[in-house]
Amino acid sequence: MASDTQPPVVRVEGLRKRYGDLEALRGITFEIEAGEVFGLLGPNGAGKTTTIEILEGLRQQDAGSVFVCGMDPGREQAALKERIGAQLQATVLPDKIRVEEALSLYAGFYRQSASIEMLLDRFGLREKRRTFFEKLSGGQKQRLALALAMVNDPELVLLDEPTVGLDAQLRRDIYTLIERFREERRTTLLTTHYIEEAERLCDHVAIIDRGQVIALGTPRELIQRSGKGAHIEASLAKPDSLERLKKLDAVSDCLEIDGRYVLHAKPVATAVAALIRYLEAEGNALVDLHIAQPTLEDVFVEMTGRRMEDW
Amino acid sequence: MTPAIRIALMTIKLVTRTKVALFFTFIFPLLFLFVYAGIFARGNPEAVVYMFGPVVTLNIMGSGFWGLGMQSVMYRERGSLRRYRLAPIGPGSMVLSSLLANYLLQLPTLALLVFCATVFFRMPLHIHLLTLLILATIGTFAFAGFGLTIASVANTMQEAQVYNNVVWFALLFLSGVTVPLPLLPHWIQRFAAFLPATYLVTSFQAVMLGGQSLFDHRAELLALLVSGTFGLLFAWKLFRWEKEEKISTRAKVVSISFIAPFLVMGLWMNAHNNFTATWSQTFSLMSRPPMGPGERASGAGGILLDDFEKPDEVELLLKNWQVSTEGNAAGRSLGELEVISPGAEGTGNALRFKGHVETAPDSDRGSVAARYPFTLPAGATSLRGAQLEARGDNRLFQVRLIPPDPTLPTPSLRFVPDSEWQVIHLPAAWLRNIKPAPGKGTLVLELRVEGPPGDFHLDIDEVRLY
Repeated sequence: MASDTQPPVVRVEGLRKRYGDLEALRGITFEIEAGEVFGLLGPNGAGKTTTIEILEGLRQQDAGSVFVCGMDPGREQAALKERIGAQLQATVLPDKIRVEEALSLYAGFYRQSASIEMLLDRFGLREKRRTFFEKLSGGQKQRLALALAMVNDPELVLLDEPTVGLDAQLRRDIYTLIERFREERRTTLLTTHYIEEAERLCDHVAIIDRGQVIALGTPRELIQRSGKGAHIEASLAKPDSLERLKKLDAVSDCLEIDGRYVLHAKPVATAVAALIRYLEAEGNALVDLHIAQPTLEDVFVEMTGRRMEDW
Repeated sequence: MTPAIRIALMTIKLVTRTKVALFFTFIFPLLFLFVYAGIFARGNPEAVVYMFGPVVTLNIMGSGFWGLGMQSVMYRERGSLRRYRLAPIGPGSMVLSSLLANYLLQLPTLALLVFCATVFFRMPLHIHLLTLLILATIGTFAFAGFGLTIASVANTMQEAQVYNNVVWFALLFLSGVTVPLPLLPHWIQRFAAFLPATYLVTSFQAVMLGGQSLFDHRAELLALLVSGTFGLLFAWKLFRWEKEEKISTRAKVVSISFIAPFLVMGLWMNAHNNFTATWSQTFSLMSRPPMGPGERASGAGGILLDDFEKPDEVELLLKNWQVSTEGNAAGRSLGELEVISPGAEGTGNALRFKGHVETAPDSDRGSVAARYPFTLPAGATSLRGAQLEARGDNRLFQVRLIPPDPTLPTPSLRFVPDSEWQVIHLPAAWLRNIKPAPGKGTLVLELRVEGPPGDFHLDIDEVRLY
């Protein structure tokens, strides 16, 4: 992924980390280019947080090399922290600290800092500037955590599960904020186990499972690389034979779910044409038709044999 | 502003917003003062001076162990430290900020204690406030080190509570914080010489009541400073941001060296120092009932300045004493001196300082003072203060001993004499270091009465340096 002209902002190679008997990371390798949003996608316990914490300098790897903004997080922590902004999976602040005080306190730790007023506006916290941390809602706390990650106007933002525990509307609010990072050409690494988050936000995704990167590329590349095709969901005027439907051109499998036929097809256009011709020949007819493109979830299932939420 | 100062100021702000923290920081120490001074000292101002050291020490210990120490472990367990860790600040800043916040929170508490003790319990402040501040500062530093060391080696809140309780109760009951040391069995007093709280309590008492100087207690104070420094170093080196990080047994063992200064100090005191006698001597200063009727100056030792027993010298005596009126109503207040008979029990004469205090319409001040300048007689060595016998009319008087060198502190004592004779002690630590030079370096013993307006009289006898 790294371009020839500009070195990657993050370079991770052969990263290994063990906690007692548990091997949390088993040789992870990836690179992140300047200005892109990179996603580490995987189920809980896959090794995402361990990876991001090594990049932040919070943990030391057992083996492998890590360079963030050209620095070794284990050895050049102070200098690196000036250039990165990070949001923890759970940000705990004192109950009685006010929003603006938290921003001002943390901004004061850095040589260069962003305007507190700008952060309050940008993260929708202006009306809550005098509110104690304990009185904030979950979404407001998360917005404050993101704002804290931005107090030093960082060139690399590391976000660990930024939308976990939030409802759909709040998640979309956070997505909008992260999309602003990309518009600003600010390099962003986020970990997530939400498929739609990775698909919507990330330029590149590394799917990680049991401490290993099992797939790496743009979301579209990964989906296209998937052996599974689209899902064609068809409601028919009359019941039909699953075995005959499976034999249609470009159809690899067929299931009946609640009276609807689900065909796995690739390429999808060939399969739809074959289905229509078959139904006409059989005196049957289409009542309803839905085509669903494969997702990163399908890629994950295909590669691991498990669904992501099974974890 | 450095990160340590920023975090410290924020910590203080947060304390002021938390009711429980406010209670334990400001109200709880006052409760102890009211119990100690109001119940144990039974209105005896000298006993309040004696109790003041234990009250301040208790507060300092509490803030070190239960405030600073437990707070550090709690922050680590809650995960509050992780957010700080993402910023470019190190363990040193975190430890320093804790120390600074703890100290700055101690200052208003100390001021409150001094204020309440002097106003509500008539505690005479024999020493300069700076001396008191220095003692409190050293104590706070030492016990902050103690609390931070325990916080460094404890992996969980429960573990920290166990360590704290073990040390806390030992210090609470065996170091003079709750039970005066001279009342404890002799072998416990010898053991107490190994306890840091003992150094602080006895230093407070000896300096505030016994007329000793900080320099007299340099060894104890040095032990506190060294242990405080050890504590901070351990807290810095063993600082952990994450609750998952566990401390090694080896590090725990090394951290026990924190108590080395106390071991050395305890051994030295037991081998070379008649410390229990000193403690008893200080204790006797407060345990002497000051309001007792007909009490004589114990042993009548020291150097007699005047007992007013030579009638032929009355004229000369009255020349030596100077009466002056001060304040907005200057010139309207009146004061005079006369020799009266009989004097305090067992003597023939005494000196009566009497007159009238008048105040201006726009002020409640106005005062009359009687001053007795004198030089130290030859042979006046190892002195610790002035004493006199007094009785009066239940007005508030003040006695001061003005030193020959204006850079030295002026000890003062407020007292309310009733119609019975009582002994007034006025410790002056600097007396010990002044060499007699007859004819040079004048000291002044001053008796003063201030508003409200009205007549007054104060009889004094047996004026001595002890």
